[in-house]
Amino acid sequence: MNQSAQKRALTTCIALAGCFTVFSFRLVNLQVTKHDEYAAQAAANHVTRQTITARRGLIQDIHGESLAQNEPVRTVVADATLIADRSAMAELISSALGMPHPQVMEKLGREVYSQALKKNVPAPYVVLKKEVPDNVASDLATQLEKRKMRGVYFEPGSTRVYPNEQMLCHILGYVNGQNVGVDGVERTMEDFLRGHDGFRYSERDRTGREIVPYRGQEKEARNGNNVRLTVDMGLQNIVEMEIEAAYKQFRPKSATIILMQPKTGEILALANRPNFNLNVQENVPEDHRRNRAVSDILEPGSTFKIVTTAAALTEKLVQPHTMINCENGYFAAVKLHDHHPYPDLSVHDILVKSSNIGVAKLAMQLGDQKFYEYVRRFGFGERTGVNLPGEIGGIVHPPHTWSKISITRMPMGQEVSATPLQVTTAMCAIANGGHLMMPQIIHDITDDQGHVLTQFPPQEVRTVASQAATDAVRDALVEVVSPRGNRDAGPGDGVQGRRQDGHRPEARCRRPLQPRPLRHLLRRLHAANDPAFVALVLVDDPQVSHDKNYGGMVAAPVFSRIGEKAARYLNLKATEEVPAGSVMARQNVSDYRDQ
Amino acid sequence: MSSANRRRHANAIPIASFVTWVFIGIFAAGGGLAYVWCKNQLYSTGTEIKSLERELVDLKNKNEVAESKIAQLSSTAKLQERYDTNFIKLVPITNDHITVLSNAPTSANSGELRPVSNERTHE
Repeated sequence: MNQSAQKRALTTCIALAGCFTVFSFRLVNLQVTKHDEYAAQAAANHVTRQTITARRGLIQDIHGESLAQNEPVRTVVADATLIADRSAMAELISSALGMPHPQVMEKLGREVYSQALKKNVPAPYVVLKKEVPDNVASDLATQLEKRKMRGVYFEPGSTRVYPNEQMLCHILGYVNGQNVGVDGVERTMEDFLRGHDGFRYSERDRTGREIVPYRGQEKEARNGNNVRLTVDMGLQNIVEMEIEAAYKQFRPKSATIILMQPKTGEILALANRPNFNLNVQENVPEDHRRNRAVSDILEPGSTFKIVTTAAALTEKLVQPHTMINCENGYFAAVKLHDHHPYPDLSVHDILVKSSNIGVAKLAMQLGDQKFYEYVRRFGFGERTGVNLPGEIGGIVHPPHTWSKISITRMPMGQEVSATPLQVTTAMCAIANGGHLMMPQIIHDITDDQGHVLTQFPPQEVRTVASQAATDAVRDALVEVVSPRGNRDAGPGDGVQGRRQDGHRPEARCRRPLQPRPLRHLLRRLHAANDPAFVALVLVDDPQVSHDKNYGGMVAAPVFSRIGEKAARYLNLKATEEVPAGSVMARQNVSDYRDQ
Repeated sequence: MSSANRRRHANAIPIASFVTWVFIGIFAAGGGLAYVWCKNQLYSTGTEIKSLERELVDLKNKNEVAESKIAQLSSTAKLQERYDTNFIKLVPITNDHITVLSNAPTSANSGELRPVSNERTHE
């Protein structure tokens, strides 16, 4: 081989070696240095993460009746890049989903700017319709398959359905578009109700179909837990019927009824007006969504006298028979009137006759600090802790901010404001021997197999008064409805428990509100020492003539009917002696109506 | 003689070796076919799994729809509505049709239950 040939061969060898060295470097760069990056890119092209949606937990009443359900729905999505005949597709979709043809055409014709291609391209993800019922989506899918049309997909989902519609709307609350609770129990129990979505990694072929053998990591979805409320739908139905009737009859600004079990603090029924349909969320005024039982405040009025009396009796400053000078109806020193002039009244009778002067004097004996302490002990001025959102604590001013006459006005429920639930809870404490219970709305939480995970046992907040004091107050309350009571103070006053002269704090001269403790049942069950429930009926600003604008004529008949129906529903036995063979039910009814 | 031996040596068929290669070929081809068959089986099983999963999801969805329907139809509000519109032919028992009997009195002497008593006979 001559020299030039050797040179050529060497040059070729060096060139080839250099070439292969470059290739080798590139190969190492691709396969080793940037392996992870390119592997991830490759995986992203054909590996997808599929979400397995968890089912939201149910909400049930105490007997297991479903109050909030899930219904499977689909979201219809189009990939316009895969649609060959837009017009034919639009026609099919518009007829199947009941959408206007031009609207579907507009959606399918949407374009997005592609950075890679530097031009507008058909949109790869267009939501055509949300919350399509499962059967409608299945029909559409079958038709698409039959006509071999591509480009429309169905994303699974679920929507919340409330079988009872308006009933319990303020307790149940509702969820938003992402199935997250935004009000009521749906919100407070969100952590329990919300499930945990699962996932699955899978590979897809070039047509987008899953290659099942190449499935990767998988995690099962964990469904949400079921929440069982303390509410009894039988009682709730009674309450709803009565509040609806009252709302139609008196056309008040608002109305609230609460039924609570004093021993446990369980809320058996709760209704507000105005209300709304949980299944139709559009155009609901914000005012209708408010749970007035926990978010509205009112001056408790004469119902507050129980606090003062119980406090004075617990402190042993007085006995039920201790006589108090009621100044013949006018207490000049503090410019305080009674509805009727009374010279001297026993502590028992102060409550029976609802003497403002009497309770003012009891409070004065207690002193500012002690009285304030008892007001707070009864739970006024702080949230009850019920598992409902939006609860407020009410207003109780501390003694150092009081005026000279505050100590005489607060005992009769003025200069104080409380929520209807606070008033009910305080009344429950009297019915429960002085034990203030935390209001409960959740009974327990179960998994989707029905196993109880968490229970919410009754919780005593504190003892607010002695047993003897609450017994004495209860005896007096019973007597309010007797002929000795303060019925003459106004038509129907005192018919169903503590008279109510409460006013809204912002408008003191408005018509009275009517919170009504369930007096009649308290009386009937007193001997058994086991009151079944305490009820509060609040009708705010009823549209009735002045001579009929009394608690006894507005709230009392509502309470009366609720008491009658609830007693029958709960199969309560009368503790009064009933003559053998008498028609007890009739007697009970007249018993209620006579009052 | 020598030419005959040379021919025999030159044309000899190595049977053992041939058979070995044939077997190797058969095994290789069989293995390949088995691999393809298994792969096909895997894919068809995957498709079957997918369709069964889809069927299961459909059934679950139908079940949920049915449950929801049942819950709505048996809800207190619906029953009350049906009762109000007289769809459910229930007649409420009026108060004058309810009689509650008191507990049977006991004899003062023996403490025995006396479901029937006639005071006049004692007089």
